[in-house]
Amino acid sequence: MSEMWINMGPQHPMTHGLWNLRVKIDGELIVDVDPEMGYLHRGIEKISEDRHYNEVITLMDRTCYVAGLAWEHLYIIASEQALGVETPERAQYIRVMTDEFQRIASHIMWYAAFVQDVGLMSPFLYGMRDRDLVLDLFQSFTGGRLTYEYNRVGGVRNDMPPGFTDRSRKVLDWLMDRFVEYDHLCLGSEIFRRRCDQLGVLRAPDAIALGVTGPMLRGAGVPRDLRKDRPYAVYDRVEFDIATAEAADVTSRYLVRMEEMRQSVRIIRQVLDWLDHHPGPVLAEKLPKWLGAPYAPVGREGYLLRRNYPKGVGFSSVEEPHGEAQAYVVNEGTEHPYRVKFRSPVFANIAACKKYMIGYRVADIPPIMGSVDICVGEVDR
Amino acid sequence: MAASAPPPEKTEENPILWVARPMWTAARQFAKSLVRPSTIIYPFERLEDPKFRDEVQVASGKPIGVGHVWDNYRGVHALNIATCISCNLCAFSCPDVCIEMVTVPGGDPKHPKKCPQIDYGKCSYCGFCSDACPEGCLSMTTRYELSSPKRADLVYSPQKMYEVFQRKLPMSPIRLERPANEDAILLDAPLCIGCNACARDCPTNCITMLDIPKAVAKPGEKLPRRIWKEPVVNDSDCVRCGTCISVCPKECLFWGTHP
Repeated sequence: MSEMWINMGPQHPMTHGLWNLRVKIDGELIVDVDPEMGYLHRGIEKISEDRHYNEVITLMDRTCYVAGLAWEHLYIIASEQALGVETPERAQYIRVMTDEFQRIASHIMWYAAFVQDVGLMSPFLYGMRDRDLVLDLFQSFTGGRLTYEYNRVGGVRNDMPPGFTDRSRKVLDWLMDRFVEYDHLCLGSEIFRRRCDQLGVLRAPDAIALGVTGPMLRGAGVPRDLRKDRPYAVYDRVEFDIATAEAADVTSRYLVRMEEMRQSVRIIRQVLDWLDHHPGPVLAEKLPKWLGAPYAPVGREGYLLRRNYPKGVGFSSVEEPHGEAQAYVVNEGTEHPYRVKFRSPVFANIAACKKYMIGYRVADIPPIMGSVDICVGEVDR
Repeated sequence: MAASAPPPEKTEENPILWVARPMWTAARQFAKSLVRPSTIIYPFERLEDPKFRDEVQVASGKPIGVGHVWDNYRGVHALNIATCISCNLCAFSCPDVCIEMVTVPGGDPKHPKKCPQIDYGKCSYCGFCSDACPEGCLSMTTRYELSSPKRADLVYSPQKMYEVFQRKLPMSPIRLERPANEDAILLDAPLCIGCNACARDCPTNCITMLDIPKAVAKPGEKLPRRIWKEPVVNDSDCVRCGTCISVCPKECLFWGTHP
């Protein structure tokens, strides 16, 4: 009986970022695990206190680098509440559409990375190729492929370019065919099923008790989705189903994410039909001065000369591709937020790893951690 | 835990099918890629090249015209020095503080013309500066190749960005409309000393100093030392850059709403 601790990380192909998983093994058997986070801490919450409300959006893209628009949406809802700004309906629909496109891009990125963890190479190439199409769409209206800077307090920066909805529909049709291929490559392969079935089991009571959210919770059979349970933006006006699976293992998380992408396509089609028939403004007409396109100046002492602006507090929670993210913004009547606080879903999902890692073999660690969909940027912020 | 989980179901399929199904999918993709590859030969073929756009629609296996997505790209800035009014708004709006206003030749020697100089070592290409530009002279192009052996080469002077402008690269066509905000520059009249600083430094010359009648001192009261002129802002010309607010020695100008 000789037990020992080994470090998987911070530089390891399994970790998908900078974090360290300490594993206590007895031969091949995992006896204990201990995740260490904090290698990628950039102090984004603190930096936000020194930026204008709109400038924080540049940080949101870098918080989670595979789901930038979802995090922008999260922050924007909270800051709009704090500032008391109303958003036009068309902007809300556009945000829902970008959220769902971002979910597809993020899940395809997860698929590519996860399948490589399992040991397959060609699905990685297919996934990265298909994600490029969604990024092309993002580039056509935001101008960036990874850092979008698209949302603004009170709406979004610009409307869709002409012909955008037709191009999107073509992309969606193309992606639906690719999802079938993904299933052929993974679910159709008995080798993949034997590797992933009954692996990393996290049952519903444990998942709820540890604050696990997102596809990991829905993979355990809990139909919990903020888009249905507490609709934000216009999610109460579109039709979709919550994807769940019962087995609570790695395969069921795969099934949930694949089904979520199909549901996202369903949502986007409804939103595109709405956008075709309802033109309108995408940015609120009456904005506080210091939020408009020209920025407020600073006075001689370096602060803004303003009088009698409202104070407020904003809170939002959004179903991000990885789980439930939350934001809290305090507006103390200055041009910067007084305090910004984020809740990252992946942090809770990693922290629960003792429940779904102990008892498996060392070779099972990459598939299990791959199925969590880790984005270290939002864990450490 | 793992011990309590039931063993995976055993299927009665021919084991060759386990391998054959994924391989069939992969083989189809391989055959497609021979006809229409998903990649381009980068240094020779460029996605942002307008001449290449029609070809890439055919050449790549992608269902959308890749060329169209480049219209709104955020790359290196192009600056039209001739129309720049030195309002400083790009420098104010920069979250990375990478924009510095430097003097360019060709201005009035007393009040030299200043144009933005951008340090691309710091720039995050967020596009807030080109959104904030009231005259549309600072915009972003499709240029993205910046590598150089020296860090100092990454600092682009106004003249260098003017060269980018002269190349007539495709520039981002989507410009933010100026929001119809109701805020205006207001004057706290009793504090004003009529010093003319705001009118002198206004980049659009929208402030004029108007004569006002000299107040009559009540018995025992001392009149403030002032020139009997007051600034009046022409709201339609004002770009709301706030230069007047920052130069005002008495802090008597402020943002507000017209009564």
